[in-house]
Amino acid sequence: MSLLEVAGDSRSFGGNRAVDDVSFEMSVEALAIVGPNGAGKTTLLNLVAGLLHPSRGSIRFRGREISRLPPWRVARLGMVKTYQVVRPFRSLTVEENLALFSRLRGGSALDGILDATGLTPYRHHLSGELPFGLLKRLELAKGLSTHPELLLLDEPIGGLSRGEAEGLLATLSALKARGVRMIIVEHRLSEILTVVDRVLALDRGRMIFHGSQSEFFRDPAVRTAYLGSDNA
Amino acid sequence: MKPPERRARPAAPRWLTRLVSPYYIAALAVIVVFVLWSAGAPTSYFALSLVFASIYITLALAWDFSSGLSGYLNFGLPFFFGLGAFTAGYFAWGGQRYVPFLLFVALGVGAVGGFLFSFPTLRLRGPYFSLLSLLLPLIAVDFVLAFWTQLHMPTEGYYDLPFLAVTPWGELIILSVANAVLLTVFLVLRNSHFGLILRGIRDDEDALSSQGIRTFPYKVLAFTIASGVAGFSGATYALTVTFAGLDTFEFTFILFPILIVILGGTGEIVGSVFAGYIVILLYQYLFQALSEVTLIFFTGAAILLVLFLPGGILRPIRSFVRFMRTPEAP
Repeated sequence: MSLLEVAGDSRSFGGNRAVDDVSFEMSVEALAIVGPNGAGKTTLLNLVAGLLHPSRGSIRFRGREISRLPPWRVARLGMVKTYQVVRPFRSLTVEENLALFSRLRGGSALDGILDATGLTPYRHHLSGELPFGLLKRLELAKGLSTHPELLLLDEPIGGLSRGEAEGLLATLSALKARGVRMIIVEHRLSEILTVVDRVLALDRGRMIFHGSQSEFFRDPAVRTAYLGSDNA
Repeated sequence: MKPPERRARPAAPRWLTRLVSPYYIAALAVIVVFVLWSAGAPTSYFALSLVFASIYITLALAWDFSSGLSGYLNFGLPFFFGLGAFTAGYFAWGGQRYVPFLLFVALGVGAVGGFLFSFPTLRLRGPYFSLLSLLLPLIAVDFVLAFWTQLHMPTEGYYDLPFLAVTPWGELIILSVANAVLLTVFLVLRNSHFGLILRGIRDDEDALSSQGIRTFPYKVLAFTIASGVAGFSGATYALTVTFAGLDTFEFTFILFPILIVILGGTGEIVGSVFAGYIVILLYQYLFQALSEVTLIFFTGAAILLVLFLPGGILRPIRSFVRFMRTPEAP
């Protein structure tokens, strides 16, 4: 049984179909969802996380239908999303940000998460006073503090400098090696492909590719979406 | 001979170490100092002013615990305050004139009222909840005006209620003990996981929800507790003035608590004690000189406070202490 099964999911906003009949199964440890701006990547992630409900289709997590569940119930089942635009609890310290979720799903060792994400020296700092790079790490740490079975990361390295991004990617690779499974939505293709096993590409809401990295760059539909029809 | 090994002293529980801060001890000290200060003239204007300051501090503690921590602004506090006052009046006129019973039943009715209001309305997000809460005292006034005969009221309220205590000083002692207990309970709750979630709701409720926390029960519980305390406070007021009337639904019973909370620092809890004495004593003595103009003065002061000291009087002190204590990160 796959960890996650998305079958024929669609979601429209008015006349705009942001996600159009997307189906895939997640059985690998790390999957990247890529695509140009407006392709529907974040909408698809929000559908999976329960932040949006699909207009059509189903989503099953560990065999259970979850497409109509509220986000807090999806998270308690073990699937947690982090945000592209960081959303720390600004009046709380870094440690308190993680302690909020530590009682869910049996709890996680906060020290281990702080170590894994490089936040131990900042544990007593107010999160509202942290620089952007550390807030991105805190966003990841918050996700880990719920002890998820599947982590949904929305542009985890978006807005980071090259050095900061490399550091965070190394953290993601280490987490993956420890068995943390993840779906990553990301614009920075070449960097994120160092972490993931498979790639799912979207274009204007439709899935145009789902396969391995090596196949990804050879796929004509992907080349057209990224480079235009003249260069494909 | 080898000396016997010293047994390690057991560590204090976490809630206790978090509670006993210099701010908490200073707040308790201020309460005690005012009680002792007024002991020399137990029926003076000063003692009576401290009684009213204590009533407003109770209300401010309740408002800060629920609205200050969660960010859901409840303007309906006078409704629960009045509900407590009228409950005490109703039972007193029914023959139950035992003061602890009246206080207890007012607390219970306030809490039930808070639950019944917050259960449907806290599903709404902040501004909508606040708007609905604003209507509560208005509805209550109309209700009393329309049904006071059916409610067996001697007039539009209940008069000739038993005194909370024989002298203002006695009332001050009762209210001060109540405030010390409430301060302690609210601080313990603020520092607990429950309090952490309320503060998380204020910062970003959606993010909290998307990571597995169902916020609704926490909000309802916080508002139920605060409404119960407001009911208790209303009963203490009614038993102090020996009358439960429509004035208990007045806007001043939300204006002053909010002003106190802003001055003390929103969500600080302990700041309400210091700010409560400052605001109410200042008001009581300015009122003698300026009469009704005092309220205009206070409204202006509130605007200036929000503009120039949005974190209240304690926040800058806390920030400085935190800055001095926090180790330098790499």
